[in-house]
Amino acid sequence: MLRQTAVHMRGLLARRASAAVTSSSVRMASHEVSETVDMSRPMYYDRVDVPLPDKPYKDLLTDADKTLKQKEKGPWSQLSKEEKIALYRLMFHQTYPEMKQKTSEWKTVLGGIFFFLGFTGLVVWWQRIYVYPPLPKTFEGDSQAMQLKRMLDMRVNPVQGFSAKWDYEKGQWK
Amino acid sequence: MAHPSQLGFQDAASPIMEELLHFHDHALMIVFLISTLVLYIIVAMVTTKLTNKFILDSQEIEIIWTLLPAIILILIALPSLRILYLMDEINDPHLTIKAMGHQWYWSYEYTDYEDLGFDSYMIPTQDLTPGQFRLLETDHRMVIPVESPIRVLVSAEDVLHSWAVPSLGVKMDAVPGRLNQTAFITSRPGVFYGQCSEICGANHSFMPIVVEAVPLEYFENWSFLMLQDA
Repeated sequence: MLRQTAVHMRGLLARRASAAVTSSSVRMASHEVSETVDMSRPMYYDRVDVPLPDKPYKDLLTDADKTLKQKEKGPWSQLSKEEKIALYRLMFHQTYPEMKQKTSEWKTVLGGIFFFLGFTGLVVWWQRIYVYPPLPKTFEGDSQAMQLKRMLDMRVNPVQGFSAKWDYEKGQWK
Repeated sequence: MAHPSQLGFQDAASPIMEELLHFHDHALMIVFLISTLVLYIIVAMVTTKLTNKFILDSQEIEIIWTLLPAIILILIALPSLRILYLMDEINDPHLTIKAMGHQWYWSYEYTDYEDLGFDSYMIPTQDLTPGQFRLLETDHRMVIPVESPIRVLVSAEDVLHSWAVPSLGVKMDAVPGRLNQTAFITSRPGVFYGQCSEICGANHSFMPIVVEAVPLEYFENWSFLMLQDA
């Protein structure tokens, strides 16, 4: 079994080597199904940054399509505008402007975000009323004022912080 | 202590803490510079109209983004190591105090001259007088003379604790069976608060540390009175 795998690997490596060695322009000029560098199955995709996908859009061609492809092999000046557009649509699904078209997805995303923020707000509000115990008495206004006065008297953070912002001569904040 | 809604460090009460504040400013500036650069690059990459994204190598930028981080790291490491060694210097302390961590209080022993020892329990919230700070006040403070080098030997009697006072730039783990030494010198008189900094059970948040730095005569009076009480 190992020997079979080795034979397969050599075949794959040979194909990979030939893909690397042959010029890419030669491969793209005959734009039918092309070899992918990472040996994944060829697939069609519309991407702004990769202009030519692995394979054309339409795989199964009707007879009319096939005659059109034959006509494409001749001089292109003999193709009418509709025929050129039809050939483009055989090869590609969307044009560049169609690919770059803006969607309204952002409205859905933003709406979802606000919805969940609002829901969270409701949960927090409910918690405040029904779950949290009362605040300790040190949070009351009088107690806070006395604590602040004591911090100033103790010269807490006198260099740049708290007490540095109090004017001790005038008895007020600077 | 911290004032309400404080975000930054407390003002330094010891020279080492001053050094740490300056180093923090230096390192934070570098961090801001790097973050701004990265944010700019991210925004540029997301909003670009260019579509050729498959360039695979470039020697010049590789050299830059290897050398520049190395230089930045050296610029951070040099001041950092300087402070590290500064903190370790022998400083001939005037006083040695043992701070022992228990579940859930600290005890201090001043045994240089006499045998002075006392426990320091947090004052419970319901027993606070108006103006006292919740979860920070203790019944007995660790009083020290100001502007004198103090050595603190930190250990624990049961589980791990950690003796920390942010404004002095001091934190030392209290390990049972081990004596850890730290030293500091207070540059100004005042009261400096800290809290236990190693999880030690149910009341880990309720065993604070209060250091009171006073002139030498006050310290001598206090130790005399404490010895009488004991």
